[in-house]
Amino acid sequence: MLILSRKSGESIVIDGRIHVKIVRVEGEVIKVGIEAPADVPVHRKEVYEEIQLSNQQALTRQSAPLPRLTGTTAQPRPPADQPPARAARKPSLQKS
Amino acid sequence: MPAAPPANNQLRLPMGLLGFEQIKDYVLLVNPAEEPFAWLQVESNVSLAFVVIDPFLILPGYQPDIPQSDVEFLSVKQPKDALLLNIVTIHGPNRATVNLKGPIVINRHTHVGKQVILANAAEYSVQHPLPVAKAS
Repeated sequence: MLILSRKSGESIVIDGRIHVKIVRVEGEVIKVGIEAPADVPVHRKEVYEEIQLSNQQALTRQSAPLPRLTGTTAQPRPPADQPPARAARKPSLQKS
Repeated sequence: MPAAPPANNQLRLPMGLLGFEQIKDYVLLVNPAEEPFAWLQVESNVSLAFVVIDPFLILPGYQPDIPQSDVEFLSVKQPKDALLLNIVTIHGPNRATVNLKGPIVINRHTHVGKQVILANAAEYSVQHPLPVAKAS
């Protein structure tokens, strides 16, 4: 891992297009400003880890029973004239 | 990758799911009796699956902000080209949650998908509770 020392207000440039600036240092909290093109996703690492953990918890055996949901928008059998959300989903990936 | 879209419910997630990067091929199974839930079954191991749900059926106000890089990766030209499926965790007979931070976005035409991290992920929970009816 490359380790660089930076002072408040100083920056690092990655690949000529991603700018990482130390905006402010307040005790243990470091405010980092990131300027990157729209095609470079920037996320807190915790979000990745949170989704990863959630996926691992969600993996299941296919025989597991599914609960029933309450509420009008989640009825298993909607009336004949379907709401738009459902109509939009109909073509889904099911091609007969 | 096939030139023409597959005629069945096979899906390819070239990057896998977060934490399951090596599993790339899935089959989407819809059983009318179990709707609005569906199954995303691992193609190479039919005993493994994820429960998924179309988020708009349960949360009509869901506004996922999908990063531009992901839209381009999936070659999705307009919203109706995309199918969103969010992964559900069944915690027990009375509790189920859905991950709203990281939906799987699928191009309906190519059947290629990706689990994306929403640009507005901070607005949503990774364990959003579903309204489960009490077990009878």
